[in-house]
Amino acid sequence: MNGAKHLTLDNVTVSFNGFLAVDNLSLTVGEGELRCLIGPNGAGKTTTLDVICGKTRAESGEIKLGPTLLNDLEEHEIARIGIGRKFQVPSVFRQLTVRENLSVAHSRRPGVIRNALQIRRGEASEGLDKLAELVGLENQLETMAGHLSHGQTQWLEIALLLAQDPKLILMDEPTAGMTVQETHKTAQLFNRLKGNRTLIVVEHDMGFVKEIAEMISVMHQGKLLAEGTVEEIERHPAVREAYLGSGGISHA
Amino acid sequence: MRNRDLIQYLTYGGVCLIILLLPVFVQDAFLLNKSARYLVLGILAVSLSLSWGYTGILNLGQATAFGLGSYCMAMALKLRTIPIHTGAEGLPDFMVWNNVEKLPWFWEPFYSMPFAIVAGIAVPVLIAAGLGWFMFRGRVTGVYVAIITLAFLVVVNLLFIDQQRFTGGFNGITDLAQLDLLGFTFDAYGASSYYLIAICLTFCLFFALLVTKSKAGLILQAIRDHENRVRYFGYDVARYKIFAVSVSAAIAGVAGMLYTIVMEFASPTFMGVQLSLSVVIWCAVGGRQSLLGSMLGAILVAGMQGALSESETFLDTWTLVMGLVFVLVVLFLPKGLAGAAETLMGRLFRTSGHPSKTAATTQGEAPARPAASRPT
Repeated sequence: MNGAKHLTLDNVTVSFNGFLAVDNLSLTVGEGELRCLIGPNGAGKTTTLDVICGKTRAESGEIKLGPTLLNDLEEHEIARIGIGRKFQVPSVFRQLTVRENLSVAHSRRPGVIRNALQIRRGEASEGLDKLAELVGLENQLETMAGHLSHGQTQWLEIALLLAQDPKLILMDEPTAGMTVQETHKTAQLFNRLKGNRTLIVVEHDMGFVKEIAEMISVMHQGKLLAEGTVEEIERHPAVREAYLGSGGISHA
Repeated sequence: MRNRDLIQYLTYGGVCLIILLLPVFVQDAFLLNKSARYLVLGILAVSLSLSWGYTGILNLGQATAFGLGSYCMAMALKLRTIPIHTGAEGLPDFMVWNNVEKLPWFWEPFYSMPFAIVAGIAVPVLIAAGLGWFMFRGRVTGVYVAIITLAFLVVVNLLFIDQQRFTGGFNGITDLAQLDLLGFTFDAYGASSYYLIAICLTFCLFFALLVTKSKAGLILQAIRDHENRVRYFGYDVARYKIFAVSVSAAIAGVAGMLYTIVMEFASPTFMGVQLSLSVVIWCAVGGRQSLLGSMLGAILVAGMQGALSESETFLDTWTLVMGLVFVLVVLFLPKGLAGAAETLMGRLFRTSGHPSKTAATTQGEAPARPAASRPT
């Protein structure tokens, strides 16, 4: 752990009609840490991200970012505090251009009146141009997001998060559908991000996890099963048990 | 991007200029009045394009704001009629017939024309914002918004018909004075009214265009595309939607006031279901994602309706002809005439390999859009 506690989940429970998706989960992530969240299908990883960003409400327990309690805040309020989310299914604004997408994501001042009085200017977004360059979309700025390839859409989403500039980034399977090279490039980017920002990454690709992770939390059936470095997790007997039948964690 | 904006401003300005110059070529009073009427309907279509085309809020009750604006203007003009059949202190004639003895308190302020004009905008805005607050705070989306707004329209309409003593009931408010403003008298059949409407249209159109060009306008389009995603960037989606329906209602209110001037009466049909649904058709035909397209769609469809129903050949069949046009447009031009025009322009002046934004906007939108904006 590098630094102070940033995100704290304290005995958080989420249930859907009696099914415990997250069961008494306690989790702490330090400032500037990159935490990987893994686990078999249905372990409650995505629900955990949902409950942090306000998409799903916790039935009991506390979720805190620093000293701020997030339980009762609305999604946009949580986002304003500095939590960004990337969803499993790429969700960009398909009818807007890449530049317009980035401009929407750049949400320092989210007020209605303020934005109604602000006339857009293509030139005033130099920072956004640099972001597009970072993710290799600099030649695609005027392209409709709906016309991008799957990999490019994933990159655009990552760029959107960077434009939003949150302190805590929640990533749900960022490399899904990416080629090996793209995955590698993503890993490099993530390694550059950690330290400045806190990241929680849900991922199935163990190769990718090994490339970026310092600490891994393993979830199983809504509970936290194990926590530790890559080596510790790979040797952990309970983790092997949970992944039984899928040939162990490295083949998950 | 800059170039495309410039072309857009020039196109909008050009169309407005043509509209402003029309009285130079058309002297016939009846034709001028009819054109002015279609222009007012064009403003109404612009207002729906803003909420439906840009924000994805299908407001089937757009005529609520239109009707309220229309009644505000009618109340003010009614109080200015020279009393012929009226009772004591110039009580409006229909009140006398309904045994109302004293002018109701909410009629009093309408002696002031500035108040009436402000009310013609403020009342629709407040009602739209209030209804929007209930709907959008409660995260009502998609088809349910359409149902609620339509039901609300019916309620307001019935209320106006029912309160005959104060609203004139089925007959509406008739026998109005001509508007006198800043030393001009606006005769419904004169060029002055036409110019007033053409100037208001230009103003409303460019106002709406500027709203869509603002950052807020961009966020509205993002909400149309993917409402939930916008929330996670920290925008209060409900507020943005309330903003959209309020601006839309303000423009519809202006259109309503102008309609009273050009029709010389206000009627419950101005806030009727039929008119309200017609606006949706105008926008669909013209292209709802284009303000100008929606406006021209309204003028075209309303104009065709007028021409066909007056021609001898189509006297019996004009509704069928109109129906056929709608079916053809919906089948073959899902983005309306504006979409077709932009695709055509894109083909004629292809400048680069990249699909340009405006041309691309016109290509098939995913039909499942409303489903995608439902809360999860």
